[in-house]
Amino acid sequence: MNDTASGAWRHVPHQLRGPRQHIGTDDHIYSPKLHNGTFKSQGIATFLGAPYCPPDRHAIREMGAKVCFIGVPWDQGQVVRAGTSQGAAGIREASTQYFPYMFEYDVDLLTFFNLVDCGDIPIVPGNNTKSHDYIYEYLSECLHGGAKVVLCGGDHSVPIPGARALSDFHRQGRIGYLHVDCHLDAAPDWAGNAFTNCSGPSRALDLPNCNAKNMVHMGSRNGLNPKDWHDFFVDNDVRLIPMQELVSRGVVECTEEIFTRAWDGTDGIYFSWDTDSIDSSCMPGTTAPECFGLKGREVIQLARTAGKFGADIMEVSELCPQFDASHISIKTACLMICHFLGSRAKTMRDRGQKP
Amino acid sequence: MNPAKSYAHLFSPLGGEGGENYRAPGQLTFLRAPHVPLETAALKSHGAQYAFVGVPFDEGNIGKPGSEDGPREFRIASQEYLSYWFEFGVDLDGLAVDCGDVPMPKVNPDSARERIYRAISAVLEAGVTPIIIGGDRSISIQAARALSDHIGNSNKMGCLHFGAQLDLAESWAGETLLSTCAMARITELQNLPAENVAIVGPRNAMNPKDYIDLAKARNLRFYPMFEIFERGIDAVIGEAVERVWNGTDAQYLSFNFNVMDASAAPGVTSAEPGGLESREMIRIADAIGAKKTVSVIDVTELAPVYDISGTTSRLAVCAVLRIMAAIARARGQLVDPNIRRSDLVAVQA
Repeated sequence: MNDTASGAWRHVPHQLRGPRQHIGTDDHIYSPKLHNGTFKSQGIATFLGAPYCPPDRHAIREMGAKVCFIGVPWDQGQVVRAGTSQGAAGIREASTQYFPYMFEYDVDLLTFFNLVDCGDIPIVPGNNTKSHDYIYEYLSECLHGGAKVVLCGGDHSVPIPGARALSDFHRQGRIGYLHVDCHLDAAPDWAGNAFTNCSGPSRALDLPNCNAKNMVHMGSRNGLNPKDWHDFFVDNDVRLIPMQELVSRGVVECTEEIFTRAWDGTDGIYFSWDTDSIDSSCMPGTTAPECFGLKGREVIQLARTAGKFGADIMEVSELCPQFDASHISIKTACLMICHFLGSRAKTMRDRGQKP
Repeated sequence: MNPAKSYAHLFSPLGGEGGENYRAPGQLTFLRAPHVPLETAALKSHGAQYAFVGVPFDEGNIGKPGSEDGPREFRIASQEYLSYWFEFGVDLDGLAVDCGDVPMPKVNPDSARERIYRAISAVLEAGVTPIIIGGDRSISIQAARALSDHIGNSNKMGCLHFGAQLDLAESWAGETLLSTCAMARITELQNLPAENVAIVGPRNAMNPKDYIDLAKARNLRFYPMFEIFERGIDAVIGEAVERVWNGTDAQYLSFNFNVMDASAAPGVTSAEPGGLESREMIRIADAIGAKKTVSVIDVTELAPVYDISGTTSRLAVCAVLRIMAAIARARGQLVDPNIRRSDLVAVQA
């Protein structure tokens, strides 16, 4: 944080300004000295207290941000219960109870990645097409700004414009696509609409530079998976790891497999993680809670393993704070991101790489 | 004004020793145990092994409030259990008494801390193991200090702590007795050697860097959840228990209940994913019970307002009762296996 050029990334949480300022450079990773810091005394809520950066490629480059958190308050692209438009707000709220420092990886997420919060992507109520176009444009800005993206849905239609943005960003190369979800989401269309939360993998395979061999679905289970969704994986020879296989083989081995497949010969990957992949006991606050899902520790192990491989866009979707009576789902969702980033940072540091 | 009558209840509390919290609970008792006043002599003459002590104090919290209602819900949840535990062949009836809650003044944390210290000291003086229900985690500082003073510097104590956070802040916002400072203060006790401290369950991003630095500086062994994933709960808890009981004269057993996974214990002040499962807590109770003795048990950070289905309080009660049952079995306090219900009928006839 010695770089004082105007526009450069700088972290001074709102709560630490004012007459009672914490003045140490790394104060945000230590127990607070003068007052309770960001705990209870909330300022403008950003993810982990990261500085705000406009969702603009030039601003992102100027700040030197390597990871952008961006929200999508969109829940009209889905066929189940509403409420996931509040997901990003829930994650920001949960993040106020955490430090950006993670002892498991000995890393400060803020300064390692020059993490920024780009706010929410604007949407158009009642218009899935326009909203998806906006999502595409805003994600393209982040990618062209030289940053990786943590995208917080929003319903599970967001990977459709999300993967499209990544596909165009790597138009000279190839991309991989991972879909971790209770549901197979492989409808050709749902009642004529091809861009709902039921068609993420179907639309990803439509992309010109996304091959079936670089796609995997993991975590599928239970009775909200119509036959055409399953047929998609059989007919297109796309690797499918149902929940039963994940339980038998273990989450670490399966996660290593899916990321190895996605990164095989590709230039970037889209990692879509639906919160309903998680067991309903750990994730009641989701659009379609389901039993027989990932346990809390499996969530963290999945995130940690994923961080060893990385992704251009990591998306967490279908989080519904309004059903999260005890506030455990928002914290879990927040930690999916924190452990992914923490593990990513440690992996890069161990290899002598910079983000 | 009638000098024979008290008018204090008409006014805001005067403070100091007289200012009690008007939201004090009634006579609901832990596991329907008899109420015994929180006095050494009364406890001694009763001869119980455990004294339940509620500490409805949450002015040491730095995040979400709500733990002051912990003792009340814990007592209510305890009504759901019987005293007989078939897995252990023991009867807990008669082993415990309930001393009620330590009366807490509001907005006077210094006075509250001294009251906690005195209350736990009184129980220990009677030779009884206090089962303390918080309240936030900061109450452990006072209770551990009471145990340390009780055994004196010629004896050694151990400390086994369970929690998602290490609570190793030297100070927090200039304060030194908040919940985030609990282990920092406890591990300063003269008769608690570092080799007899074990911390089980830390994880996630509420462990700032100074916690880790202090753990290293003081040679404190902590077992992060990642280590439990790798080694399994039996190996870790076996090692941790050995550290704490090895060569010590007294043992402080402390559960910040956020050690449990958020799905198993949503009703805590800071529910954390990736924690212990309920079946692992049962293994822990067995391992502790096998040591036959424990000097203090505390359970902190229960937050009933988030415990929509009452499952968290229930699990906390279950864990404590299982530890009591495992200790009773290890001590050979078994129910006569030949007793039958028909014997009762025969006596009545």
